[in-house]
Amino acid sequence: MSIKKYSSMIRAGILDALQFRLALIVTTVGNLLYLLLIYHLWKAVFASADSPVVNGMTFSDTMIYLVFASSLMNFMEMWVVWFMGRSIQSGEIACDLLRPISYRSWRFFDGIGENIVKFVTTFLPTAIVVFIVSKGAIKLGSNLLFFVFSAGLSLVINFYINFMVGTICMYTDTIWGINIMKVVIVELFSGATVPIAFFPDSIKQIVLLLPFQTIVNTPLQLLLHPEFSLMERFTMLAPQITWFVILFFVSDWFFNISLRRITVNGG
Amino acid sequence: MNMKKGILFYLRIYRKIVVQDIKSKMSYRADFIISMIGMIFTNICGALGFWLIFQRFPSIDGWNYNEMMFLYGFSLISATPAQCLFDNNWNLRIVVYDGSFIKYCFRPINLFFYYMSEVFDVKGLGQFLFGIIAVAYSWNKLSLPFHWYSLPLFIFMALSASLFVIALLNLASATCFWLVHSFFALQLSNTLRDFAKYPITIFGLTIRNLLTFVIPVAFMAFYPSMPFLRETQVQWQTYLTPVFGIFFLYISYKVWMKGALAYDGTGN
Amino acid sequence: MASPIIQLKNVTKEFKVLNRHEGLAGSIKDLFSQDYKIIRAVDNVSMDIMPGEIVGYLGPNGAGKSTTIKMMTGILKPSEGTIMCNGVVPYDKRTQNAQNIGVVFGQRSQLWWALPAIESFNILRDIYQIEEKKYKDMMNLYGSIVDMDALMHKPVRQMSLGQRTLCDILASFLHDPAVVFLDEPTIGLDVAMKSKIRELIKMLNKERNTTIILTTHDMGDVDALCQRIVIIDKGKMLFDDGIDKLTETFGAYRTLSLSLLSKKEKADEARMNELVQKVTDVLGSNISDKNAFTVSSRDDQIEILLDEKKTNVMKVLNYIQDESRIYDMHLNEISTESVIKKIYEGGLS
Repeated sequence: MSIKKYSSMIRAGILDALQFRLALIVTTVGNLLYLLLIYHLWKAVFASADSPVVNGMTFSDTMIYLVFASSLMNFMEMWVVWFMGRSIQSGEIACDLLRPISYRSWRFFDGIGENIVKFVTTFLPTAIVVFIVSKGAIKLGSNLLFFVFSAGLSLVINFYINFMVGTICMYTDTIWGINIMKVVIVELFSGATVPIAFFPDSIKQIVLLLPFQTIVNTPLQLLLHPEFSLMERFTMLAPQITWFVILFFVSDWFFNISLRRITVNGG
Repeated sequence: MNMKKGILFYLRIYRKIVVQDIKSKMSYRADFIISMIGMIFTNICGALGFWLIFQRFPSIDGWNYNEMMFLYGFSLISATPAQCLFDNNWNLRIVVYDGSFIKYCFRPINLFFYYMSEVFDVKGLGQFLFGIIAVAYSWNKLSLPFHWYSLPLFIFMALSASLFVIALLNLASATCFWLVHSFFALQLSNTLRDFAKYPITIFGLTIRNLLTFVIPVAFMAFYPSMPFLRETQVQWQTYLTPVFGIFFLYISYKVWMKGALAYDGTGN
Repeated sequence: MASPIIQLKNVTKEFKVLNRHEGLAGSIKDLFSQDYKIIRAVDNVSMDIMPGEIVGYLGPNGAGKSTTIKMMTGILKPSEGTIMCNGVVPYDKRTQNAQNIGVVFGQRSQLWWALPAIESFNILRDIYQIEEKKYKDMMNLYGSIVDMDALMHKPVRQMSLGQRTLCDILASFLHDPAVVFLDEPTIGLDVAMKSKIRELIKMLNKERNTTIILTTHDMGDVDALCQRIVIIDKGKMLFDDGIDKLTETFGAYRTLSLSLLSKKEKADEARMNELVQKVTDVLGSNISDKNAFTVSSRDDQIEILLDEKKTNVMKVLNYIQDESRIYDMHLNEISTESVIKKIYEGGLS
């Protein structure tokens, strides 16, 4: 019954995403251009280094990491903040709240169809290409299992962060400024633009305590380090799971108290 | 009846609209302040990315941290006119798809002008401010010479470079007149603009030519910065910046207008 | 006689549209589809509109009304035929034409959203290069018709729909255009506001002798404002004449309402349908021309729409009285609205 409700929402999202006639090609070209840019940038960066290995990473390690990171970010791209902000500004949120499904779940399942399409159309092809090009530099085994599990958590954590930022729009009456700050914070502190391994140690210690690094850094460490022991893997997963639990409760709580605020003020 | 309208006519209207627009924006102070903070914050994080790289690596293909900051600052400055004056491009697809673009077609003035005049994006000034600070900081750190002509030349070069940014934005937004989901074209144009922040010497010859002649992103910061950054290594492309910029802007204007005039008001 | 201010000669407009497919497989198919079909939105329409006229341009949704308006305002170019508006071919000289016309779309304001209306007017004054004196005169005229102080200093986005429409109409007349196009100006407004808007339009038309083309679905607008109406459906022109000619052209219709049930009987749906059938049969066996009457039911009444050119009320009453008792009856003139509805439905012509 309720599975049907969700699956039909997901199907609608998939259908919608496939309507993009040329968009898929344009997006792919954009992603390739981005890869081209970071390839040349990091090649030039490594050319200036004294040794081919910097902070335990070679140029090809860095590239593999960054390619995966960008396609992870790509697949997890969400419009939740814009949706929420607009429906708050227009007052439509009052109607959305009448649905027979919690607002948070509705936003999640409404958007996830697009994420699934992106996973299939961008992440999977990218991953396959990387495996072929890197000629088996990444060993596949149980690490794949951990990666998939962790990437799933990343998607949900990313959603919770977006949902909380969307909730902030209830107070600010503005979307662009709030959203852009979220985008750059997530990009920088998740390790999507510069691998966290290259961060200065003092900053690295702080960044590893934040939830953002669990979005990109955690799943990628699990995938790219098949040599990790089970113990190491669970140590990596622990902060992610902790953040998942914290954000699960906090995002719901924050939304509910904010909602009370706007209903009291009469929208 | 001859209704030839000169540049003064347009300037007067533009000034009037912008003054009113800014006045009304000031009444939404929270939005204004948060957008401004968001803009500067984005620029700072962009710079932070460079800073992080340079914590572990001494240079990028012979370009040091300060030189990179100069290029970054220049690219922000040259992006300012597009951000401030042509920001309504970002709304174009929305008004085209919901059919309200038609309301711009009934005025006896230039359609492109009328549409763009509607929005003046103040937060672009935040970007401008950060760009100026970045350039001034690196200019000082690099001890670059400051001649009597440096400032006018810098303004001239920044303005020339800005034409490319405007043109690229026009072209990307105009795609909505033909495509059903044109947001991706705007995203692509943003990705392309990322190339402007880096010295094109890090690329191979093919890409360099591509970025010069096909998608002239290298003119947004790299070529026009050379007279200041590497006075002795100025290439012929630098001198071409203004001419090529006007040409590219003209093309983008023509494409935009062609799309707008083909618009039938039904949203495709 | 004066020459027409707008002239359409055999105007036709065709569009090419993509045939879309349904479902997941369909949308993938559409990615590569070249399957187009031609739609004729406006089909060989001709008309002359005289200066100072208020013309109601009517038709069901998708009839081709807005396509015609877009051609008259220069946004679309006809596939065939020619249009002249105030001595200009609008689609060749769009900006020049724009100087002489005003346009209002009921649902979307053309004023600057964030600005008080007076500031929008000020900008429009510059855009249309309105002389100081003409502008003052116009504002004085406006002041004599509506309460300008209440309207002008509020940002458009804070206005009610009615206020916004009022401002939009004022703005469209500001440069004293020869022609004003009003597209559903009273849509979504309450009764009081509707009549206020109609008054305003009437006043401005009278004061400035402005030609007005009005598209609407509201027959109240038509009755209040138009002497002449043009009806279009599926791109073809069905009617172009004075509103008083409408009933003449499409027959002299009256509606006869009968109560055939006593107060005790229950008028449920089945019973009413039965009665409709019965009356239809009775009339059918007596009147040979099947277009002379239409039988329907409304609540507990049987309604018979009669064309008095083909039959008459007394005969109809007689036929029915032979078969059934009539408890009560009313005779009504048919409204313009019903005639037009019948035209849309293809019941007439």
